[in-house]
Amino acid sequence: MKLFEEIPHTADWSFRAFGRDLRELFANAAHAIFAMQGARADDAANEIERVIELNAMDREALFVTWLSELLWLQEAHREVYTHFEIESLSETDLRATAFGKPRVAMDKIIKAATYHNLKIEQTQDGWQAVVVVDV
Amino acid sequence: MIHKANLERIDENIWQVPQSFRGDMRAPARLYADEALLDDALQDESVNQLINTATLPGIVKYAIAMPDVHQGYGAPVGGVFATRIEDGVISPGAIGYDVNCGVRLLASRVRADEIAPHIQDLATALYKNCPSGVGSEGSVPLNAKQLDDVLESGSEWALKNGYAKQDDLQRTEERGRMSGADAAFVSKRAKDRGKDQLGTLGAGNHFIEVDRVTEIFDAATADALGLFPDQIVVQIHCGSRGLGHQVCTDYVNDFQRAARDYKIALPDRELVCAPFDSEPGRAYFKAMACAANFAFANRQVLAHHIRRAFEQTLAGKVRNWQLAQVYDIAHNMGKVEEHIVDGARIKVCVHRKGATRAFGPGSPVLPGDLRDIGQPVLIPGSMGTASYVLIGTAGSMEQTFGSSCHGAGRVMSRSRAKREVRGDQLRDELNARGIAIRAGSLPGLAEEAPQAYKDVSRVVEMEMREMCSY
Repeated sequence: MKLFEEIPHTADWSFRAFGRDLRELFANAAHAIFAMQGARADDAANEIERVIELNAMDREALFVTWLSELLWLQEAHREVYTHFEIESLSETDLRATAFGKPRVAMDKIIKAATYHNLKIEQTQDGWQAVVVVDV
Repeated sequence: MIHKANLERIDENIWQVPQSFRGDMRAPARLYADEALLDDALQDESVNQLINTATLPGIVKYAIAMPDVHQGYGAPVGGVFATRIEDGVISPGAIGYDVNCGVRLLASRVRADEIAPHIQDLATALYKNCPSGVGSEGSVPLNAKQLDDVLESGSEWALKNGYAKQDDLQRTEERGRMSGADAAFVSKRAKDRGKDQLGTLGAGNHFIEVDRVTEIFDAATADALGLFPDQIVVQIHCGSRGLGHQVCTDYVNDFQRAARDYKIALPDRELVCAPFDSEPGRAYFKAMACAANFAFANRQVLAHHIRRAFEQTLAGKVRNWQLAQVYDIAHNMGKVEEHIVDGARIKVCVHRKGATRAFGPGSPVLPGDLRDIGQPVLIPGSMGTASYVLIGTAGSMEQTFGSSCHGAGRVMSRSRAKREVRGDQLRDELNARGIAIRAGSLPGLAEEAPQAYKDVSRVVEMEMREMCSY
């Protein structure tokens, strides 16, 4: 199963993330934002772990909050995250660890994840989410 | 889905989606476009996004799409609408993440041929003096108290700290300081994100551009603004950086609950909103004003860096290289203004996203030397194409809540632009035309290729013909 695919958007970026279950969907959407930004890590540096605990009013809000959290962390700490463990996930709560390293370069920065046309849907193969991000 | 057949033609270049088109619309939606620009707008989500804004509580008159409209998120880029202060809403997502992204125009009194031998050196000096690109850090370190001061006083902070001249503030929208800003309503996260970014250009479509004045349409007005043929001027396009992005992120998230509490039905959660006159509404406005002040100060510090680059390159070699400010305008803002609606003057919150304020002559908010002329409106074109300086008119006040387009407007996705254009080829082509380019990323340059944008002259022609500026 592919992790995500880009969807054409006139001004910003949009992508469709996939997952066999919701945990994988959340992790793959996180992969998408770092891959699309062309974020590159300092391979020689020690791995960094960021534990993330979030609460939101519903699944869509939790999804946007998750991506927003990662965007804030990358800019506040100048880090790039390469894998994600979603330890617990409900409709409104998430606990996860993002693993990463200091960032050495980046082609493009995503300013924010938006709620615009956000769809999280169950499919025959699992789950998918369509997201628009501001660049 | 909206089709051309659903639109009423109000005038040759004014189209309207009637309020009856969708049951949730509270006002019509109006587009300023010729047939070709309208076809562009109908290709993507622009018009549906515009219709969505027309559903927001308290909207007055009609929602407006400028000729440069294109798909965004929530509201379209190039979208304007006004909500009553008394019982209307304010929507952070309809203002946008880059709060007070805007344009500043600086003018030298040197002629283009005089600096021609120094263009490459000037481009290099600008690139060195003005931090740009992803993750760029500013040259102005701020502690927490200083950052709060920037957030609450904007360009006045820059003036007190040697980054501005008094005249710069006179020639800045809001004189570079939005009133009502309160740094206590900006999260620590937003402050952490922006604390090292004052005086940075950022990436994407942000730029510093040295231009030559090629044509004057109104000699008296140009003279009053200090513009003349063959003159060298500089444009800056940037905004509130990570600080503004986080302010919007914070309040779009907070407002999800607020909209539910106030029982506001929304066609798009990105348009989430709260009554303007409510605790969450007032909190966002105070935080947005802080982000706007950060952006005013950011462009002011960049102007300081640009002046230094001009001095380093041109002092002693040519005369009159010093830069005076023509004007500085905001794109993504919510502003409390008074406008005539149904014959009565009322107070509204004008949401402009990818649109420019364009106040006509006589406006009391304009500084004395501009009051008889009207507000300068700065319309940058894409790389290698023209840019325009327009002036707000009585028409813009009557028709568009004193608003104008903000640029050419995109027509091509960034991924398609990168597929179709090679950054190095574009750089070489522009170089061959005598245009020096400095860019941190060649793929980033390709994304901003002229063919990814509409024809700015066509967009401006619409404005001149139909509504507001000349």
